[in-house]
Amino acid sequence: MTIAELAAAIRRGELSPHEAVQAALDRIEREDGAYNSFLAVRGEESLAEADALGAPSGPLHGVPLAVKDVIDVAGTRTTAASKVLADNVATADAIVVARLRRAGAIIVGKLNTHEFAFGASTTSAAFGPARNPWDTERICGGSSGGSGAAVAAGLVPGTLGTDTAGSIRIPAAFCGVTGIRPSTGRVPNRGVVPVSWTYDTVGPLARTAGDCALLLDAIAGPDPDDASTTPVAGEPCLDALQLGVKGLRIGVVSHLVGGEVPLDPGVAAAVETALVVLEDLGAHVERVDAAFLRRAEVVQQLVMLPEAAEAHLPWLRTKLADYGADVRARLLAGLLLPSSAPITGQRARRALAEEARPLFERYDLLAAPEMPLVAPRIGEDPVEVDGHELAYRLSLIPYNSPWSCLGVPTASVPCGFVDGLPVGLALTGRRLGEATVLRAAHAYQQVTDWHERRPPSPA
Amino acid sequence: MSTDSTPLPSLAELRALARLQGVEPSDADLEAVLGFLGTVLPTLRALEDRTGRDIPPAGMYHPDPEAT
Repeated sequence: MTIAELAAAIRRGELSPHEAVQAALDRIEREDGAYNSFLAVRGEESLAEADALGAPSGPLHGVPLAVKDVIDVAGTRTTAASKVLADNVATADAIVVARLRRAGAIIVGKLNTHEFAFGASTTSAAFGPARNPWDTERICGGSSGGSGAAVAAGLVPGTLGTDTAGSIRIPAAFCGVTGIRPSTGRVPNRGVVPVSWTYDTVGPLARTAGDCALLLDAIAGPDPDDASTTPVAGEPCLDALQLGVKGLRIGVVSHLVGGEVPLDPGVAAAVETALVVLEDLGAHVERVDAAFLRRAEVVQQLVMLPEAAEAHLPWLRTKLADYGADVRARLLAGLLLPSSAPITGQRARRALAEEARPLFERYDLLAAPEMPLVAPRIGEDPVEVDGHELAYRLSLIPYNSPWSCLGVPTASVPCGFVDGLPVGLALTGRRLGEATVLRAAHAYQQVTDWHERRPPSPA
Repeated sequence: MSTDSTPLPSLAELRALARLQGVEPSDADLEAVLGFLGTVLPTLRALEDRTGRDIPPAGMYHPDPEAT
Protein backbone atom coordinates (compact mmCIF):
# COMPACT_ATOMS: atom_id res chain seq x y z
CA MET A 1 0.00 0.00 0.00
CA THR A 2 1.13 3.55 -0.63
CA ILE A 3 1.18 6.10 2.15
CA ALA A 4 -1.91 7.76 0.72
CA GLU A 5 -3.78 4.43 0.55
CA LEU A 6 -2.70 3.38 4.05
CA ALA A 7 -3.62 6.74 5.57
CA ALA A 8 -7.03 6.59 3.88
CA ALA A 9 -7.65 3.06 5.14
CA ILE A 10 -6.80 4.16 8.69
CA ARG A 11 -9.07 7.20 8.41
CA ARG A 12 -11.91 4.94 7.25
CA GLY A 13 -11.33 2.69 10.26
CA GLU A 14 -10.40 -0.34 8.17
CA LEU A 15 -7.32 -0.79 10.33
CA SER A 16 -6.02 0.92 13.42
CA PRO A 17 -2.68 2.73 13.79
CA HIS A 18 -1.65 -0.12 16.11
CA GLU A 19 -2.38 -2.68 13.39
CA ALA A 20 -0.57 -0.65 10.74
CA VAL A 21 2.51 -0.29 12.93
CA GLN A 22 2.42 -3.94 14.01
CA ALA A 23 2.25 -5.04 10.38
CA ALA A 24 5.34 -2.94 9.55
CA LEU A 25 7.20 -4.33 12.56
CA ASP A 26 6.29 -7.87 11.49
CA ARG A 27 7.60 -7.26 7.96
CA ILE A 28 10.83 -5.81 9.31
CA GLU A 29 11.27 -8.75 11.69
CA ARG A 30 10.51 -11.27 8.95
CA GLU A 31 12.42 -9.79 6.00
CA ASP A 32 15.05 -7.24 6.99
CA GLY A 33 17.61 -9.89 7.78
CA ALA A 34 18.08 -10.08 4.02
CA TYR A 35 18.53 -6.32 3.54
CA ASN A 36 20.05 -4.86 6.74
CA SER A 37 18.16 -1.68 6.01
CA PHE A 38 17.29 -0.99 9.68
CA LEU A 39 19.92 -0.17 12.30
CA ALA A 40 17.34 0.23 15.07
CA VAL A 41 13.71 -0.81 15.38
CA ARG A 42 11.48 1.07 17.82
CA GLY A 43 9.12 -1.87 18.50
CA GLU A 44 7.47 -1.23 21.85
CA GLU A 45 7.91 2.54 21.60
CA SER A 46 6.21 2.80 18.23
CA LEU A 47 3.30 0.58 19.29
CA ALA A 48 2.83 2.69 22.42
CA GLU A 49 2.91 5.86 20.31
CA ALA A 50 0.32 4.37 17.94
CA ASP A 51 -1.92 3.49 20.87
CA ALA A 52 -1.58 7.02 22.24
CA LEU A 53 -2.80 8.69 19.05
CA GLY A 54 -6.11 10.47 19.39
CA ALA A 55 -8.74 10.91 16.72
CA PRO A 56 -7.37 11.24 13.18
CA SER A 57 -6.19 14.78 12.56
CA GLY A 58 -3.02 14.85 10.46
CA PRO A 59 -2.58 13.51 6.92
CA LEU A 60 -0.18 10.79 8.11
CA HIS A 61 -2.30 9.60 11.04
CA GLY A 62 -1.06 6.16 12.12
CA VAL A 63 1.28 5.67 9.14
CA PRO A 64 4.50 3.80 10.04
CA LEU A 65 7.61 5.52 8.65
CA ALA A 66 11.35 5.29 9.25
CA VAL A 67 14.22 7.78 9.10
CA LYS A 68 17.87 7.60 8.17
CA ASP A 69 20.13 7.12 11.16
CA VAL A 70 21.58 10.62 10.99
CA ILE A 71 18.20 12.10 11.96
CA ASP A 72 17.48 12.36 15.68
CA VAL A 73 14.55 10.57 17.28
CA ALA A 74 14.36 11.34 20.99
CA GLY A 75 15.42 8.43 23.18
CA THR A 76 16.82 6.41 20.26
CA ARG A 77 20.46 6.06 19.21
CA THR A 78 21.71 8.18 16.31
CA THR A 79 24.81 6.27 15.20
CA ALA A 80 25.28 7.58 11.65
CA ALA A 81 26.40 3.98 11.03
CA SER A 82 29.71 4.80 12.69
CA LYS A 83 31.63 3.48 15.67
CA VAL A 84 32.27 7.14 16.48
CA LEU A 85 28.63 7.60 17.55
CA ALA A 86 27.87 4.02 18.57
CA ASP A 87 26.51 5.06 21.97
CA ASN A 88 24.95 8.40 21.01
CA VAL A 89 21.33 8.60 22.21
CA ALA A 90 19.34 11.57 20.89
CA THR A 91 17.78 13.78 23.55
CA ALA A 92 15.26 15.49 21.26
CA ASP A 93 13.52 14.91 17.95
CA ALA A 94 14.91 16.49 14.82
CA ILE A 95 12.50 19.13 13.50
CA VAL A 96 11.54 16.88 10.60
CA VAL A 97 10.68 14.06 12.99
CA ALA A 98 8.63 16.41 15.15
CA ARG A 99 6.76 17.54 12.03
CA LEU A 100 6.10 13.95 10.93
CA ARG A 101 4.74 13.19 14.39
CA ARG A 102 2.59 16.31 14.25
CA ALA A 103 1.13 14.96 11.00
CA GLY A 104 0.30 11.71 12.82
CA ALA A 105 3.15 9.46 11.62
CA ILE A 106 4.75 6.81 13.80
CA ILE A 107 8.53 6.39 13.52
CA VAL A 108 9.24 2.66 13.64
CA GLY A 109 13.00 2.76 13.27
CA LYS A 110 16.31 4.16 12.08
CA LEU A 111 17.81 3.25 8.73
CA ASN A 112 21.24 2.21 7.52
CA THR A 113 23.42 4.84 5.88
CA HIS A 114 26.89 5.26 4.48
CA GLU A 115 29.02 6.17 7.48
CA PHE A 116 28.12 9.75 8.46
CA ALA A 117 26.15 10.06 5.20
CA PHE A 118 29.53 10.68 3.56
CA GLY A 119 29.62 8.23 0.67
CA ALA A 120 27.35 6.60 -1.88
CA SER A 121 27.40 2.87 -1.22
CA THR A 122 25.99 2.30 2.33
CA THR A 123 28.58 -0.31 3.20
CA SER A 124 29.46 0.67 6.77
CA ALA A 125 32.32 -1.38 8.20
CA ALA A 126 30.78 -1.08 11.65
CA PHE A 127 27.16 -1.94 10.82
CA GLY A 128 27.40 -3.93 7.57
CA PRO A 129 26.13 -3.12 4.09
CA ALA A 130 22.52 -2.41 3.24
CA ARG A 131 21.53 -4.87 0.50
CA ASN A 132 19.52 -4.02 -2.58
CA PRO A 133 16.11 -5.78 -2.57
CA TRP A 134 16.39 -6.30 -6.34
CA ASP A 135 19.62 -8.26 -5.89
CA THR A 136 20.99 -8.62 -2.39
CA GLU A 137 24.53 -8.99 -3.71
CA ARG A 138 24.36 -5.37 -4.88
CA ILE A 139 24.54 -2.04 -3.12
CA CYS A 140 21.52 0.18 -2.52
CA GLY A 141 23.44 3.30 -3.38
CA GLY A 142 23.78 5.94 -0.74
CA SER A 143 24.20 7.47 1.47
CA SER A 144 20.50 6.91 2.26
CA GLY A 145 20.76 3.26 1.20
CA GLY A 146 18.61 1.89 4.00
CA SER A 147 15.94 4.47 3.21
CA GLY A 148 15.76 3.25 -0.38
CA ALA A 149 15.89 -0.44 0.49
CA ALA A 150 13.18 -0.26 3.18
CA VAL A 151 10.72 1.33 0.75
CA ALA A 152 11.63 -0.96 -2.17
CA ALA A 153 11.17 -4.03 0.02
CA GLY A 154 7.82 -2.72 1.28
CA LEU A 155 8.94 -2.76 4.93
CA VAL A 156 7.56 0.76 5.40
CA PRO A 157 5.71 2.88 2.84
CA GLY A 158 7.94 5.93 3.20
CA THR A 159 11.22 7.09 4.68
CA LEU A 160 13.33 10.18 5.14
CA GLY A 161 16.86 10.41 3.81
CA THR A 162 19.37 13.20 3.50
CA ASP A 163 21.12 14.46 0.39
CA THR A 164 24.38 16.36 0.16
CA ALA A 165 25.72 15.16 -3.19
CA GLY A 166 23.11 12.66 -4.39
CA SER A 167 22.31 10.68 -1.26
CA ILE A 168 18.53 10.57 -1.73
CA ARG A 169 18.53 10.38 -5.53
CA ILE A 170 21.09 7.61 -5.92
CA PRO A 171 19.40 5.04 -3.63
CA ALA A 172 16.03 5.99 -5.11
CA ALA A 173 17.37 5.15 -8.57
CA PHE A 174 19.17 1.95 -7.55
CA CYS A 175 16.25 0.65 -5.48
CA GLY A 176 13.48 1.59 -7.95
CA VAL A 177 11.63 4.05 -5.73
CA THR A 178 10.82 7.75 -5.98
CA GLY A 179 12.89 10.25 -4.02
CA ILE A 180 13.31 13.99 -4.04
CA ARG A 181 16.14 16.18 -2.87
CA PRO A 182 14.35 19.44 -1.98
CA SER A 183 15.87 22.88 -2.52
CA THR A 184 18.45 23.60 0.13
CA GLY A 185 16.70 25.52 2.88
CA ARG A 186 13.22 24.22 2.19
CA VAL A 187 13.41 21.60 4.97
CA PRO A 188 15.02 22.25 8.37
CA ASN A 189 18.24 20.39 9.17
CA ARG A 190 18.11 20.96 12.93
CA GLY A 191 18.66 17.64 14.68
CA VAL A 192 20.41 16.05 11.71
CA VAL A 193 24.12 15.08 11.79
CA PRO A 194 25.74 17.47 9.27
CA VAL A 195 27.93 16.65 6.30
CA SER A 196 28.15 20.03 4.62
CA TRP A 197 26.01 23.02 5.61
CA THR A 198 26.09 24.42 2.09
CA TYR A 199 24.51 21.34 0.54
CA ASP A 200 22.72 19.27 3.19
CA THR A 201 18.99 18.75 2.88
CA VAL A 202 16.44 16.26 4.22
CA GLY A 203 13.92 14.71 1.83
CA PRO A 204 11.49 11.83 1.33
CA LEU A 205 11.67 8.48 -0.45
CA ALA A 206 8.48 6.56 -1.22
CA ARG A 207 6.85 4.49 -3.93
CA THR A 208 5.17 7.36 -5.71
CA ALA A 209 5.61 11.03 -6.42
CA GLY A 210 2.28 11.56 -4.68
CA ASP A 211 3.60 10.02 -1.48
CA CYS A 212 6.76 12.13 -1.72
CA ALA A 213 4.54 15.21 -2.02
CA LEU A 214 2.62 14.14 1.09
CA LEU A 215 5.81 13.68 3.10
CA LEU A 216 7.50 16.81 1.78
CA ASP A 217 4.49 18.99 2.59
CA ALA A 218 4.62 17.60 6.13
CA ILE A 219 8.30 18.37 6.77
CA ALA A 220 8.93 21.53 4.70
CA GLY A 221 8.78 25.11 5.84
CA PRO A 222 10.77 27.71 7.72
CA ASP A 223 12.17 27.01 11.16
CA PRO A 224 12.98 30.19 13.07
CA ASP A 225 15.68 28.36 15.02
CA ASP A 226 17.43 26.97 11.92
CA ALA A 227 19.41 29.53 9.95
CA SER A 228 19.68 27.14 7.03
CA THR A 229 15.96 27.33 6.23
CA THR A 230 14.68 29.85 3.75
CA PRO A 231 11.99 32.18 5.13
CA VAL A 232 9.77 31.49 2.10
CA ALA A 233 7.53 28.47 2.60
CA GLY A 234 7.34 27.35 -1.04
CA GLU A 235 4.33 26.07 -2.93
CA PRO A 236 2.56 23.02 -1.43
CA CYS A 237 3.29 19.99 -3.57
CA LEU A 238 0.17 17.88 -3.08
CA ASP A 239 -2.11 20.59 -4.47
CA ALA A 240 -0.16 20.76 -7.73
CA LEU A 241 0.00 17.05 -8.51
CA GLN A 242 -2.97 16.93 -10.86
CA LEU A 243 -1.81 19.79 -13.09
CA GLY A 244 -0.04 17.47 -15.55
CA VAL A 245 2.88 18.35 -17.80
CA LYS A 246 1.06 19.79 -20.80
CA GLY A 247 2.96 22.88 -21.94
CA LEU A 248 5.89 22.40 -19.56
CA ARG A 249 9.28 23.03 -21.18
CA ILE A 250 11.79 20.30 -20.38
CA GLY A 251 15.46 20.70 -21.26
CA VAL A 252 17.41 17.47 -21.60
CA VAL A 253 20.98 18.10 -20.44
CA SER A 254 22.98 17.18 -23.54
CA HIS A 255 26.31 16.29 -21.98
CA LEU A 256 24.61 13.82 -19.62
CA VAL A 257 22.90 11.89 -22.41
CA GLY A 258 25.22 12.48 -25.35
CA GLY A 259 28.25 10.35 -24.55
CA GLU A 260 30.48 13.11 -23.15
CA VAL A 261 30.49 11.41 -19.76
CA PRO A 262 30.23 7.63 -19.38
CA LEU A 263 26.64 6.34 -19.57
CA ASP A 264 25.37 2.78 -19.82
CA PRO A 265 23.50 2.35 -23.13
CA GLY A 266 20.63 0.52 -21.42
CA VAL A 267 20.19 3.36 -18.95
CA ALA A 268 20.33 5.87 -21.82
CA ALA A 269 17.62 3.97 -23.70
CA ALA A 270 15.32 3.83 -20.66
CA VAL A 271 15.70 7.57 -20.10
CA GLU A 272 15.07 8.37 -23.78
CA THR A 273 11.88 6.29 -23.66
CA ALA A 274 10.74 8.16 -20.55
CA LEU A 275 11.30 11.48 -22.29
CA VAL A 276 9.10 10.34 -25.17
CA VAL A 277 6.37 9.55 -22.63
CA LEU A 278 6.61 13.06 -21.18
CA GLU A 279 6.48 14.50 -24.71
CA ASP A 280 3.40 12.40 -25.48
CA LEU A 281 1.80 13.85 -22.34
CA GLY A 282 2.20 17.33 -23.78
CA ALA A 283 5.57 18.56 -22.53
CA HIS A 284 7.95 20.36 -24.90
CA VAL A 285 11.16 18.34 -24.72
CA GLU A 286 14.43 19.45 -26.30
CA ARG A 287 18.16 19.03 -25.80
CA VAL A 288 20.00 21.88 -24.12
CA ASP A 289 23.72 22.56 -23.97
CA ALA A 290 24.66 23.07 -20.34
CA ALA A 291 28.25 21.88 -20.38
CA PHE A 292 29.22 24.70 -18.00
CA LEU A 293 27.56 22.62 -15.28
CA ARG A 294 30.56 20.29 -15.35
CA ARG A 295 32.39 22.87 -13.23
CA ALA A 296 30.05 21.87 -10.40
CA GLU A 297 31.89 18.57 -10.15
CA VAL A 298 34.94 20.15 -8.53
CA VAL A 299 33.09 23.08 -6.97
CA GLN A 300 31.06 20.71 -4.83
CA GLN A 301 34.17 18.93 -3.57
CA LEU A 302 36.05 22.15 -2.74
CA VAL A 303 33.24 23.30 -0.46
CA MET A 304 31.89 20.01 0.86
CA LEU A 305 35.15 18.42 1.99
CA PRO A 306 36.39 21.28 4.22
CA GLU A 307 32.92 21.78 5.70
CA ALA A 308 32.70 18.07 6.53
CA ALA A 309 36.18 18.13 8.07
CA GLU A 310 35.23 21.09 10.24
CA ALA A 311 31.99 19.40 11.32
CA HIS A 312 33.99 16.33 12.36
CA LEU A 313 37.02 18.09 13.87
CA PRO A 314 36.40 17.13 17.53
CA TRP A 315 36.04 13.47 16.55
CA LEU A 316 38.99 13.60 14.13
CA ARG A 317 41.08 14.69 17.11
CA THR A 318 39.86 12.00 19.50
CA LYS A 319 38.37 9.10 17.52
CA LEU A 320 40.21 9.06 14.19
CA ALA A 321 40.74 5.30 14.23
CA ASP A 322 37.02 4.68 14.69
CA TYR A 323 36.18 5.91 11.18
CA GLY A 324 36.05 3.61 8.17
CA ALA A 325 39.03 4.08 5.86
CA ASP A 326 37.11 5.75 3.00
CA VAL A 327 35.36 8.32 5.17
CA ARG A 328 38.54 9.01 7.16
CA ALA A 329 40.46 9.71 3.94
CA ARG A 330 37.83 12.14 2.64
CA LEU A 331 37.62 13.97 5.97
CA LEU A 332 41.41 14.30 6.16
CA ALA A 333 41.49 15.56 2.58
CA GLY A 334 39.02 18.26 3.59
CA LEU A 335 41.13 19.12 6.63
CA LEU A 336 44.30 19.49 4.55
CA LEU A 337 43.01 21.31 1.48
CA PRO A 338 44.34 24.86 1.14
CA SER A 339 42.26 27.38 3.05
CA SER A 340 41.48 29.08 -0.26
CA ALA A 341 39.59 26.01 -1.51
CA PRO A 342 36.15 26.60 0.06
CA ILE A 343 36.28 30.34 -0.76
CA THR A 344 37.16 29.65 -4.38
CA GLY A 345 34.46 27.00 -4.39
CA GLN A 346 31.81 29.38 -3.06
CA ARG A 347 32.88 32.08 -5.52
CA ALA A 348 32.65 29.61 -8.40
CA ARG A 349 29.32 28.40 -7.07
CA ARG A 350 27.89 31.89 -7.29
CA ALA A 351 29.22 32.24 -10.84
CA LEU A 352 27.65 28.89 -11.70
CA ALA A 353 24.29 29.99 -10.30
CA GLU A 354 24.37 33.17 -12.36
CA GLU A 355 25.28 31.22 -15.49
CA ALA A 356 22.45 28.76 -14.81
CA ARG A 357 19.78 31.43 -14.33
CA PRO A 358 18.84 31.69 -18.05
CA LEU A 359 18.53 27.92 -18.16
CA PHE A 360 15.90 27.96 -15.46
CA GLU A 361 14.14 30.93 -17.07
CA ARG A 362 13.86 29.04 -20.34
CA TYR A 363 12.92 25.63 -18.94
CA ASP A 364 10.46 24.54 -16.27
CA LEU A 365 12.42 21.34 -15.74
CA LEU A 366 15.74 19.79 -16.69
CA ALA A 367 16.02 16.07 -17.32
CA ALA A 368 18.90 13.59 -17.26
CA PRO A 369 19.66 10.07 -16.09
CA GLU A 370 19.87 10.01 -12.30
CA MET A 371 22.81 7.59 -12.45
CA PRO A 372 24.86 6.40 -15.42
CA LEU A 373 24.70 2.76 -14.36
CA VAL A 374 22.57 0.31 -12.39
CA ALA A 375 23.52 -0.80 -8.88
CA PRO A 376 27.05 -2.26 -8.73
CA ARG A 377 27.87 -5.38 -6.74
CA ILE A 378 28.87 -4.85 -3.12
CA GLY A 379 32.61 -4.10 -3.15
CA GLU A 380 32.71 -3.54 -6.93
CA ASP A 381 34.95 -0.51 -7.42
CA PRO A 382 36.06 0.57 -9.97
CA VAL A 383 32.95 0.07 -12.06
CA GLU A 384 32.63 -0.31 -15.80
CA VAL A 385 30.29 2.07 -17.61
CA ASP A 386 29.92 1.62 -21.36
CA GLY A 387 33.44 0.26 -21.67
CA HIS A 388 35.00 2.88 -19.40
CA GLU A 389 36.53 1.73 -16.15
CA LEU A 390 36.28 4.39 -13.46
CA ALA A 391 35.93 4.81 -9.72
CA TYR A 392 32.30 4.42 -8.66
CA ARG A 393 32.47 7.80 -6.90
CA LEU A 394 33.62 9.51 -10.08
CA SER A 395 30.86 7.89 -12.14
CA LEU A 396 28.11 9.58 -10.14
CA ILE A 397 29.51 13.09 -9.63
CA PRO A 398 28.62 14.58 -13.06
CA TYR A 399 24.99 13.48 -12.64
CA ASN A 400 24.51 14.72 -9.09
CA SER A 401 26.80 17.62 -8.19
CA PRO A 402 25.26 20.27 -10.50
CA TRP A 403 21.91 20.21 -8.74
CA SER A 404 23.44 20.15 -5.27
CA CYS A 405 25.64 23.12 -6.16
CA LEU A 406 22.68 25.11 -7.46
CA GLY A 407 20.52 24.21 -4.45
CA VAL A 408 17.60 23.26 -6.68
CA PRO A 409 15.08 20.43 -6.22
CA THR A 410 15.69 17.22 -8.10
CA ALA A 411 13.87 13.89 -8.04
CA SER A 412 14.69 10.40 -9.18
CA VAL A 413 11.73 8.64 -10.76
CA PRO A 414 11.74 4.92 -11.70
CA CYS A 415 11.78 4.68 -15.50
CA GLY A 416 12.84 1.18 -16.47
CA PHE A 417 15.15 -1.75 -15.82
CA VAL A 418 18.50 -2.94 -17.15
CA ASP A 419 19.39 -6.57 -16.44
CA GLY A 420 16.60 -6.71 -13.87
CA LEU A 421 17.86 -3.66 -11.98
CA PRO A 422 16.02 -0.31 -11.69
CA VAL A 423 16.89 2.87 -13.58
CA GLY A 424 16.01 6.40 -12.45
CA LEU A 425 15.09 9.50 -14.44
CA ALA A 426 16.27 12.75 -12.83
CA LEU A 427 13.85 15.68 -13.04
CA THR A 428 15.22 18.98 -11.78
CA GLY A 429 13.25 22.15 -11.13
CA ARG A 430 13.76 25.79 -10.29
CA ARG A 431 14.67 26.78 -6.77
CA LEU A 432 11.66 26.07 -4.52
CA GLY A 433 10.00 24.44 -7.54
CA GLU A 434 9.39 21.07 -5.88
CA ALA A 435 5.71 21.19 -6.83
CA THR A 436 6.56 21.27 -10.55
CA VAL A 437 9.09 18.44 -10.20
CA LEU A 438 6.62 16.20 -8.39
CA ARG A 439 3.76 17.19 -10.66
CA ALA A 440 5.76 15.98 -13.69
CA ALA A 441 6.81 12.82 -11.87
CA HIS A 442 3.19 12.16 -10.90
CA ALA A 443 1.97 12.66 -14.47
CA TYR A 444 4.61 10.21 -15.67
CA GLN A 445 3.57 7.66 -13.05
CA GLN A 446 -0.08 7.89 -14.12
CA VAL A 447 0.83 6.33 -17.49
CA THR A 448 3.73 4.04 -16.50
CA ASP A 449 4.08 1.27 -13.96
CA TRP A 450 7.81 1.17 -13.23
CA HIS A 451 7.15 2.50 -9.72
CA GLU A 452 4.71 -0.36 -9.09
CA ARG A 453 7.19 -3.14 -9.82
CA ARG A 454 8.19 -5.15 -6.76
CA PRO A 455 11.47 -6.94 -6.05
CA PRO A 456 11.41 -10.67 -5.38
CA SER A 457 10.59 -11.80 -1.85
CA PRO A 458 13.70 -12.62 0.20
CA ALA A 459 14.68 -16.28 0.17
CA MET B 1 40.92 23.05 -17.41
CA SER B 2 44.64 23.55 -16.92
CA THR B 3 46.70 20.65 -15.69
CA ASP B 4 49.83 22.68 -14.94
CA SER B 5 52.17 20.82 -12.68
CA THR B 6 51.28 21.86 -9.17
CA PRO B 7 53.80 21.12 -6.42
CA LEU B 8 52.41 18.70 -3.86
CA PRO B 9 53.27 18.81 -0.17
CA SER B 10 55.37 16.04 1.35
CA LEU B 11 53.92 13.58 3.86
CA ALA B 12 55.86 15.39 6.58
CA GLU B 13 54.33 18.72 5.59
CA LEU B 14 50.85 17.22 5.55
CA ARG B 15 51.46 15.67 8.97
CA ALA B 16 52.55 19.04 10.34
CA LEU B 17 49.40 20.69 8.95
CA ALA B 18 47.23 17.99 10.53
CA ARG B 19 49.04 18.41 13.86
CA LEU B 20 48.38 22.13 13.78
CA GLN B 21 44.72 21.19 13.95
CA GLY B 22 45.21 18.57 16.63
CA VAL B 23 44.83 15.54 14.35
CA GLU B 24 47.34 12.66 14.15
CA PRO B 25 46.84 10.69 10.94
CA SER B 26 48.83 7.59 9.95
CA ASP B 27 51.18 7.40 6.95
CA ALA B 28 48.53 5.38 5.10
CA ASP B 29 45.95 8.09 5.78
CA LEU B 30 48.29 10.79 4.49
CA GLU B 31 49.17 8.83 1.36
CA ALA B 32 45.45 8.61 0.57
CA VAL B 33 45.14 12.36 1.07
CA LEU B 34 48.16 13.00 -1.16
CA GLY B 35 46.56 10.99 -3.95
CA PHE B 36 43.44 13.10 -3.65
CA LEU B 37 45.37 16.37 -3.60
CA GLY B 38 47.26 15.34 -6.72
CA THR B 39 43.94 15.32 -8.54
CA VAL B 40 42.24 18.31 -6.96
CA LEU B 41 45.00 20.90 -6.59
CA PRO B 42 45.54 21.47 -10.34
CA THR B 43 41.78 21.78 -10.74
CA LEU B 44 41.63 24.25 -7.87
CA ARG B 45 44.32 26.39 -9.52
CA ALA B 46 42.46 26.31 -12.82
CA LEU B 47 39.23 27.30 -11.13
CA GLU B 48 40.96 30.17 -9.31
CA ASP B 49 42.27 31.41 -12.66
CA ARG B 50 38.92 31.34 -14.41
CA THR B 51 36.68 32.63 -11.60
CA GLY B 52 36.71 36.41 -11.33
CA ARG B 53 38.00 37.67 -8.01
CA ASP B 54 35.37 40.38 -8.06
CA ILE B 55 32.67 37.74 -7.58
CA PRO B 56 31.76 37.56 -3.90
CA PRO B 57 31.63 34.02 -2.54
CA ALA B 58 28.15 32.51 -2.37
CA GLY B 59 26.54 32.33 1.02
CA MET B 60 26.62 29.00 2.74
CA TYR B 61 23.01 28.17 2.03
CA HIS B 62 21.88 29.96 -1.13
CA PRO B 63 24.19 30.40 -4.13
CA ASP B 64 22.07 32.93 -5.99
CA PRO B 65 21.75 36.31 -4.24
CA GLU B 66 18.50 36.99 -6.10
CA ALA B 67 16.93 33.77 -4.91
CA THR B 68 14.99 33.69 -1.69
